[in-house]
Amino acid sequence: MPDNNTHDSTDKRAETDGGVAGQAGQAHRDTDYLSSEVNIINPSTPFMRDHLRVVWTGFIIWVIAVWGPVTLTYLATDAMTTQMPVLGFPLHYFLVAFGAPTSALILSFWYSRKRDALDEKYGIDHTTIEETGHGSEAAATDGGVDQ
Amino acid sequence: MTGVPVVPLQESLLPESLNISFKLLPSILVLGMLGLFLAIGFVFRVADTENMWVAGRSIGNVENGMAIGANWMSAASYLGMAASIALAGFYGLVFVVGWTTGYFILLIFLAAQLRRFGKYTAPDFVGDRFNSDTARAIAAVTTFLIGFVYAIGQAKGMALVGLYVFGDFGFLLPGLDGYQVMVIFMMTITVGYLTLSGMLGATKNQAVQYVILITAFLVGLFVVGYTNGYSTVLPQMEYGMLIDDLGSEFSEPFATSSYYLWIATTFSLIVGTCGLPHVLVRFYTVESERTARWSTVWGLFFICLLYWSAPAFAAFGTDLYSTNVRATYGDPGMASAASEVIVVLAAQLSNLPQWFVGFVAAGGIAAAIATVAGLFIAGSSAISHDIYTNIVNEDATQREQILVGRLAIVALGVLTTLAALDPASSIAALVGYAFALAGSVLFPMFFIGMWWENANRQGALAGMTTGLVGWSIPMINEIVPTYMSSLEAPLSAGLAQWMPAIGSALITLPIVFAVTIVVSLLTDEPDMETKRVVRQCHSPEPMGQHKTAEDVVADGGNAPADD
Repeated sequence: MPDNNTHDSTDKRAETDGGVAGQAGQAHRDTDYLSSEVNIINPSTPFMRDHLRVVWTGFIIWVIAVWGPVTLTYLATDAMTTQMPVLGFPLHYFLVAFGAPTSALILSFWYSRKRDALDEKYGIDHTTIEETGHGSEAAATDGGVDQ
Repeated sequence: MTGVPVVPLQESLLPESLNISFKLLPSILVLGMLGLFLAIGFVFRVADTENMWVAGRSIGNVENGMAIGANWMSAASYLGMAASIALAGFYGLVFVVGWTTGYFILLIFLAAQLRRFGKYTAPDFVGDRFNSDTARAIAAVTTFLIGFVYAIGQAKGMALVGLYVFGDFGFLLPGLDGYQVMVIFMMTITVGYLTLSGMLGATKNQAVQYVILITAFLVGLFVVGYTNGYSTVLPQMEYGMLIDDLGSEFSEPFATSSYYLWIATTFSLIVGTCGLPHVLVRFYTVESERTARWSTVWGLFFICLLYWSAPAFAAFGTDLYSTNVRATYGDPGMASAASEVIVVLAAQLSNLPQWFVGFVAAGGIAAAIATVAGLFIAGSSAISHDIYTNIVNEDATQREQILVGRLAIVALGVLTTLAALDPASSIAALVGYAFALAGSVLFPMFFIGMWWENANRQGALAGMTTGLVGWSIPMINEIVPTYMSSLEAPLSAGLAQWMPAIGSALITLPIVFAVTIVVSLLTDEPDMETKRVVRQCHSPEPMGQHKTAEDVVADGGNAPADD
């Protein structure tokens, strides 16, 4: 591979100006990611701000799903150990053994969907890269996908 | 001592109620399966390092998801988890929670960024990110240590199951009992196929191993549940009706452990998940960062299939044991060696045909081999790639690197075999120690290194040293004495209560974070080149399949900066 044209944003700008994405896509094209600080507490680019909003939302729900039932069981043992109707599980057992892993799975699916949606919002396309695997070809195919 | 149920003394390593004898059909089944692994390893054998370590970066979504699953689900998941749930009750569920939910953290904070970083090994990241061969070496040694500690549990699991299939060959080698002979036999096979095939063969094999292990586990569960009248179509839900009959020990919260131990163990297992080198390296093998994300979702789904089912298996096994052998709880109760094979035992006690029980046993062996493969590849690449090629001999040829890698696999195999002859704890607990180590040393470096560009070399060195020391303290307190007859474990009961070996990352992780950040703030910022690599890992711009963030920064970095 001679060089990596996917990051040659001048090239891309010429082809995508017709506009896949609106403001966000414009912001993406105007961002120089290699000059923007990476700091989880203080995101420096619009993309990372949006991304971290998704990340922290998921993280908070995840914390509640993982340690919430156990903590409740510790605080209110009687209420949490009552038998569930139909299934027969003690409530705490079900929330831990089934609820926690399932929540993580659903959250993972949700996050990946959200992250794909973010790519779309910012006009980022991975498919050409996956198919060709070569930066130089990807630059040429960008135009085709964007139309 | 805390966590008693999962760290039982090894009164006897032969599980008493298991039918230990040579069985023809199960033997053919297991040997056929091992032959298949060797054949796949041979067909996909490799001769260059790119394929050996990262499978040519060619692996797709579902295949990588399966590999994540097989890589992940070891003897600890297949055997140890049901064992802990049966013996430790509600506390045993820490493994169900800790070994699944961590994947979400891995996904949102690390998976795609790691793919963009795109090197070969976990120590590569630490060494390159912090520009330090010392940091690389510490990470490599940690990786090796994790592979070693983790694999002891796998060797134990394989040997226990091997006893059911092949019987007691204790007479073959003087001074060793049947369990120990089986450890040596199983480890020899695992090491043999690994030295042949490397990561590409391992990845292809892991997909096959996933199919075998999940089929064996699920079919085993359905058949055991159905033939005993416990369940019909959905044993993962129907075992709820049974819980009331199993005795309060099975479900009563905090009966065998404190709330604190529960939290500490899950925390440690979760951050360990995100710091295990053989897990992290799976994200270097995929074709793109989007694949890195979606294969994590697939991987977690494949993992959940087994983790939803293990408590059901534990419930069925416990009931069958109480009915057919003796009361599971109380004195004498179920022996720990018997609990470790409860999955196989449940099938045996249901009077199912021998070949079927053998099939369930074979799944356990597949699970253990797949994980040992991932661990040993990670451990040997740490030695060959990170220590030998990067530090000792920078001009090493591919041939030499592969040779050193293979020697490292053999060395790991020998060490693991020796330690597994008389293991200090249960399968799940042994594996838990490796998680505490990964969560104390590697996870903080990956997390801070990836999400804060100002973390620097001095911070990383101070943090990793703190992590290693922090992990060693409870290990010396609780585990080392079990290998010395003159000492009694734990040395300090108070320390064991607040900093248990299996959950020590709850204490060490915040300390390591603080040390790394404070030392980084007090010393110079890393150079711009390093910061740009970190930024490239987070940039949403797609990048080529064989590019690393470093390549992009080195040869393509100027163009966008000039805009």
